[in-house]
Amino acid sequence: MSVPEVNLLFHEPIADHSFSADRNLLAVARDSRVQLYARSGNGFALQDELAGHDKTVTSVDIAPQSGKIVTCSQDRNALVWEPSPTGWKPTLVLLRINRAATHVRWSPDETKFAVGSGARVIAVCYFEEENDWWVSKHLKKPLRTTVLSLNWHPNSVLLAAGSADAHARVFSAFIKGVDQRPEPTVWGERLPFNTVCGEFSNSSGGWVHSVAFSPSGNALAYAAHDSSITVVYPSAPEQPPLSVVSITTQMLPFTSLIWAREDQIIAAGHDCHPVVFQGDMNGGWTQAYSIDDPAQRQDSGEGAESSALNMFRQMDLKGRTTSVDDTNLKTIHQNTISTIRPYQGEPGNVSKFSSTGVDGRIVIFPVA
Amino acid sequence: MATGNWRLIDVDALDPENAFPAELLTPQFAPVPLADIQALANHCRQSLQRGEQEEALLTALKNVPYGGDDQGKELHLATILEILSSIKQAEMTPILARIYSSPNGTELLDALMKYLYKGMARHNASNNGTPGVSVHATGASSVSGFGGATREFGVAPSRGDGGGMSVLLSWHEKVVDVAGTGAIVRVMTDRRTV
Repeated sequence: MSVPEVNLLFHEPIADHSFSADRNLLAVARDSRVQLYARSGNGFALQDELAGHDKTVTSVDIAPQSGKIVTCSQDRNALVWEPSPTGWKPTLVLLRINRAATHVRWSPDETKFAVGSGARVIAVCYFEEENDWWVSKHLKKPLRTTVLSLNWHPNSVLLAAGSADAHARVFSAFIKGVDQRPEPTVWGERLPFNTVCGEFSNSSGGWVHSVAFSPSGNALAYAAHDSSITVVYPSAPEQPPLSVVSITTQMLPFTSLIWAREDQIIAAGHDCHPVVFQGDMNGGWTQAYSIDDPAQRQDSGEGAESSALNMFRQMDLKGRTTSVDDTNLKTIHQNTISTIRPYQGEPGNVSKFSSTGVDGRIVIFPVA
Repeated sequence: MATGNWRLIDVDALDPENAFPAELLTPQFAPVPLADIQALANHCRQSLQRGEQEEALLTALKNVPYGGDDQGKELHLATILEILSSIKQAEMTPILARIYSSPNGTELLDALMKYLYKGMARHNASNNGTPGVSVHATGASSVSGFGGATREFGVAPSRGDGGGMSVLLSWHEKVVDVAGTGAIVRVMTDRRTV
């Protein structure tokens, strides 16, 4: 088992992060800017800054093939950034929303991206050649609350959304003229725009913080604010799902989840360390193990080396010699993890993943 | 334009598409008649008299009247509180561990947690005593936090406010030990109120 790679970028929350396909470029959303870091040795060096939003940037995504960066912000705008000889050139996207944009993700074929928002719509954006700009179509029904997370099906037509009304939904985001007609899947056969292919909630409710299709696209997992994750296996279009497995945990809620393999899900959130779930449709799902488990952390290590210094410092500061370290969490992340993403390995066989959170750290964890 | 406090204008009220029916979030339950809850209470009390506290607790937690009216819910709360106060301190953790490892165990402990919070809330707010449990209306007990500090104040409050609150607090501590902080979070998110 290799060791996690930890880098502290700055002392500010990171709302979202994204790596380029070669993992040499890292984009992080910091306040109302997006900072681009380049790999340098074991760390990251600040390379460029994308300043175009005037409110907090909520989400950033780098398209793996084209390298275009899409960002969205509480200023209700999304920008597509393209590299040019004079630096990154932004293009404004017409989202037509009257609330903050919350989440943005490129479709796997990179012809579209979807923006979730507080305006109870998902804007599905695509490039219109004639007018030379990005336009959007709205997924509206039956959304009634803020959309908090989005995830694309591998076929680039189906889109999963988690929202604040405790529901995870699967929509068709089929755009005529942009998309080829998709192969039929378990989610549906004919898929005009805004077809609702599934709508799920769980008994104890809670905002849905994160949704993800399995690598095959034939299952959907979501994490909600009731500290649970739920895995849904659909059967056929218009039919009730084959199986809905909900795992309530002893932990604080998860804010982000990814599939490492078809039978393995990684989730992380307010407990500041990732957890691995394993299972399948027939055997059910269980919480398998924790990565960076605070319960297994030894207190020794660095502390022991400077023990004399520490002792006097403790006496000076607190009037006692026993150095109870009560200001640091025993986990690597010192605050909520807000985003995890696959870092190494094919979809369906992820071996490393990256995480960022409120503490300004980026950590690359091995899965096993 | 510049007059009036425009930040206080509820812009959503002006949006015709913004109708948000409450039943979207709140699951619907068939109404539970008061007689059923009363029968359940009697059943539990008989179990208690036979010394089968765990049995009584399980029965009460498995038959939570989510569809009951306020009176019925109060009655069930009283039943649960009566059972809780009859179980000795040393038996709490073993009983909770057994419930937790049973099928659907997390759900049962979540329900118990809801009753603990409900018990604390009414203990704090109301002056009318709950039948079946010794409640002294002090109005001064120190439970106000919902989340974070729960592990710390799982001890009996230092003020002499009778048995009710200290029973609830020691149960709360034990439930968090067994079911984790997740149980507290689910009390807040769950729309099935007790």
